Parts: sequence; C-alpha cells; structure tokens
Amino acid sequence: MRLPGTRYQEHGWEQVRKLLGRCSLQAFRQIDMALMLDAPHHAELLDQYTDAVAAALRLSGQGARAEAAGNSYGDGVCELALSLVFELRAQPTYWGGLMSAIAGEHARIGAFWRQASADAMLRKKVNDMYAGLRDKIDADSYTVTTGRACSPNKMYTYRMLDTAYRDIAQLFAGWRQHAAQVGAILGRELAGIPIEARQMKSIAGCKAEWIIRWSASQEQYSGAAGPLHTKSKRFSSLKNSPEKIAAMLIEIGDYEELSANLDSGDDWQSDAGEAALWLEDYWRVIGESEAREAEEEEEAPLPDVVDQILQAPEPDDEEEEFELADEAPDDDEEGEPSESAAVAPLLESPASTDQLRDEQAIASALSLPPRYLELARSAQDSGSWTLRMLKDDTLAIRLAVYHKLLGASDDSYPDAWLDPATGELPTLQQLAALDQVSMPTLRKRRNAAIDKLYAAQSRDGVKKE
Amino acid sequence: MNSTPIDDKLHQRLLLARAVPGDRLMLGDDTLQAALAGTRALTPNERAALQQSPLTLRRFRHLALQRHAASQSAPAPTAANDALWPGSGGMLRAASSSAVLDELITDDRYWTLHFLPNDDSWQVVLTLAPNAPFAARLLREQAMLRVVDGGGAIILQGRLDADGECERAWPFDTAPASHFHLYGASFAVEPVAP
Repeated sequence: MRLPGTRYQEHGWEQVRKLLGRCSLQAFRQIDMALMLDAPHHAELLDQYTDAVAAALRLSGQGARAEAAGNSYGDGVCELALSLVFELRAQPTYWGGLMSAIAGEHARIGAFWRQASADAMLRKKVNDMYAGLRDKIDADSYTVTTGRACSPNKMYTYRMLDTAYRDIAQLFAGWRQHAAQVGAILGRELAGIPIEARQMKSIAGCKAEWIIRWSASQEQYSGAAGPLHTKSKRFSSLKNSPEKIAAMLIEIGDYEELSANLDSGDDWQSDAGEAALWLEDYWRVIGESEAREAEEEEEAPLPDVVDQILQAPEPDDEEEEFELADEAPDDDEEGEPSESAAVAPLLESPASTDQLRDEQAIASALSLPPRYLELARSAQDSGSWTLRMLKDDTLAIRLAVYHKLLGASDDSYPDAWLDPATGELPTLQQLAALDQVSMPTLRKRRNAAIDKLYAAQSRDGVKKE
Repeated sequence: MNSTPIDDKLHQRLLLARAVPGDRLMLGDDTLQAALAGTRALTPNERAALQQSPLTLRRFRHLALQRHAASQSAPAPTAANDALWPGSGGMLRAASSSAVLDELITDDRYWTLHFLPNDDSWQVVLTLAPNAPFAARLLREQAMLRVVDGGGAIILQGRLDADGECERAWPFDTAPASHFHLYGASFAVEPVAP
C-alpha cells in the first residue's frame, strides 16, 4: 500500500522488520539487559542500542537481502531500517514501550534474556516496537505531505483495508472454489461468473459493503473472525461507517494510481541545498514575525490580530479504544539531561609538536592515518556555526555529534574526516579512543554538546550577524 | 551568520527530529502560506507554536520547498520589459484602525483597494497603478487576479478592465475594517495560476 509520504507500508516491510530483529539481537548482546528494569537508565540504553544497532545494520548493508528494495520508491531494506533507527531516537516513547514490555516479561519469568529461547521473545518485542513506530512515522509524513491529520491508528486502518481488499480480490479470482463466500460478500446467489469480479480493477473499485460482508463471513469460511468482527474493539465502529471505509479505499486507490510511475518518494531525505533553501524561508518568517511584534510594541499598537492556531482534532471514537496496548506510559524522568561533563581538554590548534606526535601514535594504533586528527582539524570550516557553538569540545566530540545527528556517512563531510578504510566517520569506539576516554564518557560529552546546540538554536538561531 | 552546508543539515535535524509528545499540526496551510508569501506575519503565539512543533515545521518545510519548485517552473516573462510579478502584499496601518476604512495600498504601492459604501454593504474596487512595471503585461494578458485576506480567504477575484480596475461586491457580512482586523490585518494581490 502506498499513501502520500509513506515509506514503510509496502511488502518490503517484512524484510526491514526481519533485518531490524536480527541486528537488534546483536545489539542486545552488547547491552546490560538488567538495566532495562530501571527507568533512569532508559535514555542511556537507547543511546547504546541505537549506536550498536546502526553499526550492525551498516555491517549487514552489503548483503543482497539488505540491498533489496524495501518499497517501490527504491529505498533499500537496509536504508529503511537505518532511517527507522534514526527516528527511534526522536521518539523515545516507543523505546519506553519496549522497556516496559521487557520489564513485564521479567516480572513474570525472571531474567529471560539468559535463556535459550530468549531470541524469539526479544525479536517479537522488537517487532512490536518497530511496527508501532513505522505507523507513527508514516502517519506524520502523511500529515506533512497532505496537510491532513493522521494518526498511527488510522495508518493501521488503511493497511487493514488494503489487506482486506487483496483477500477479496483473491476470492473473486478463485470464485468457482469460493462461490459461497463470494456470494456472501456480494450479498446474492452467484449465477455464473460475477460481473463485479471483472469490474474491480483496483482497490478504488472495491465497495465498502463488500469489505463489511467479507469481514462478517470470515469466521464461517476461514475459521477466524474478520478484522471488523473480532472481539477487540479496534475496528468495530468502522463496520457501521461504510462511507468512511469507502473514502479510505478510494484514497488508497487514487494515490496508488497517481504514484505508479513516480521513481522517488517524498522529500524525506534532502541534500544540503534543500535544507539551506527552506531554512532561509524559516529564518525570514521568524524574523518578520519578530519585527512585527517589535513594531507593535514601539508604535501605537496595531489592532489585535487573532491567532490562527488550529484546534486539536476531535479524536475518532475508535481512536481511543486501541492505544497500542503494550505502549508504556510516558516516563517524564527518561529524558533527564545527564550532568554536564567536565570540560573536554582543548585539543584545538595550534597543537605543539609533542601533541602532534602523541596524536599520531593514537591514530596509528586505531588503524587511522597517522595525521588523521591534524588533517581532520584543518578540514573544519572555521566559519561554521557548529564549530563556534562547540568550540570548547574536542574534534572527536564534534565528529561524534555529526555521527549521531547526520549518520556515519554524509555527502557534506570533508574527506579528511573519513576513515579511508570504510569511507565513513570513525566509529564511536575509535572516536572515544582518539580522546582517550571511555565510551560512556564520550556519549555523555556528545549528548551534552547536542543539548548545547539545541539551546543555542532556540536562543539565537535566528539572529543573523 | 555563516552557515555551511553541514550547519544547514544539522539545523534541519535539530529542528525536525525532536521528541515532542502529542505533537500535531498547529498552523493551517493558509497561515503558513501567508507567512511564506510575506503577506501576513505570524503572531508571537503562532511563531511559538511553529517553533515548538516539529510536525508543523515539517509541513512548513514541505510548503516552502513546493513554493521554490513552483517558482522555478513558472514560465519566464515573454519580453525583457515585462517584469515578473509574483504578487503584492499590504498591511492595514495603525492609522486606519480608527477611521472608516476607505482604501488600502500595497507595500509596493502598485495596487489600491477602494471600499465604497453601498446601502448596507460595500463595493470593493481593485486598481492597478499605471506605472507598475508589470502593468502592460497584466492588461494585455487579461490575467486572472485575486485579492486574499490574511487568513487566505478570497476577497475579490477577476480580470482587470481596460482602465486597470476590477470591481466586486464585498463578500463578507462584517465591514471591511473589522474584517481585516480579524484576519491578520493584511491582504495580498496575487496572480491566479491558469
């Protein structure tokens, strides 16, 4: 299924899910699972997990399975998995959900992750987390692309209808073997090939009442209740709203047709040029708004302008029924910023000959070019905003910031920053070793640096000099 | 401020990839488009709402990039003298708040809106200044124009007559002055895409 802005809703999702499961198990082996029972550790564990799983994904990135297309826009399976891991960092609620699922299991059966059967259980829980997250991300992208509100639950409903349509299409195609159920769906006795079966060329041609009758007939013909007729309340209100179903079916069908010959998805991944283009608009719009406010304060006040802030949409009746059951309650403590790290030693220029010699020894020990630090340092753009904001941090910390926010490889990185062996930024282990600090210290300093950037951006990000 | 391509990407990431529980669209497309077009500045509350909502910022980004794409694909002017005209905006001035509103002028001073009382309603007349660099082309092409308020609602839509004017009935129940106060105290004259 394709909808405007979505990337994780097509058949390739199965592969993305499996890859994420496999790499997550590898990541968990590097993590102290017992800490998951302790909420104050969750933010730190999320950090460790995303770093480890991203590294595992990049390692797996060469396989044929990882390079296969994960959707019809040509995003690869590994690419999609990596971008979802990036999204997880910005949506810690989903991580919190996984943590409480694991804690729940622990309360029931103890430290299950030490048992032989742990892999399957962990994989299942990771699956649940990413299943919820992908619907959240796609629902948000749908909103961004269309300007219409969409919830993860609604995204799930679209997908349920798409699956139902495919099942109906199969029944229609095999109408001789399935005459009784096809008759039940159409609401009449069959006399020869049903004309509806030939007319239904796409999901847009599928009628809402067929979906409802199909769901009602599932229990009798397939042995399991249809999605609109299960005991769960999830879709139960939908069966009384054929017009809602019809609108959603048509929307899926229309977009599928419209997007059939698009070769690229929406604008989620942009080059630096695009970022510059819209940020320019952003600073201008904020600046104009501030200028107008200042003008009002100085001069005779202009008549009040009414704020045009949108009301929160009314939640659909069914929405509240099924807040993902295994999702954690919000954990306010979770994002608590860590104690700001001691100021990192200034490795900045001009480095003395002794320092340079020490640096070369460290770099060589890490299989980096001996003059790595020296060259990477001079490849920094001295006018850069980031460099000015993080001038008290070391080069390794700044690179770790880029590593976390933009990923290990990005076309805007100068060559001198990359490890020639991988063509990417050095790994976090290498960066920690360059500063001769432990991984937790590196992470702590990196996160403090990122907090500094957030604060700087909201404080004076718009003031142009 | 000196902004390198990496800075831009980092700014983008910092703005858009933040955890904001319960985030939703805070501003409608009309409001965002008017801010992008420069016809209505965001109020302080709207500005805060935009800055605090990554989802609304992503919508803003989408619309901003769409505008750039549209302006790139717009046809080039036919002759060197025919200046391209993307639209003109204007504001209700403080002075006009007390008196009865009889006219508004765009910031570029090429367009005037006159308001003429007509029994218990109003007529609104859009007039193009003859010295506008794009005047000749608009008159020749009989371009479709519209005037929108700060909320994006259409006040008037039509083509200029030979005198460079277009007159319509005022479409709202509220008087022009009160109406503009309600909807951003601003207006814009725009070409309507054919």
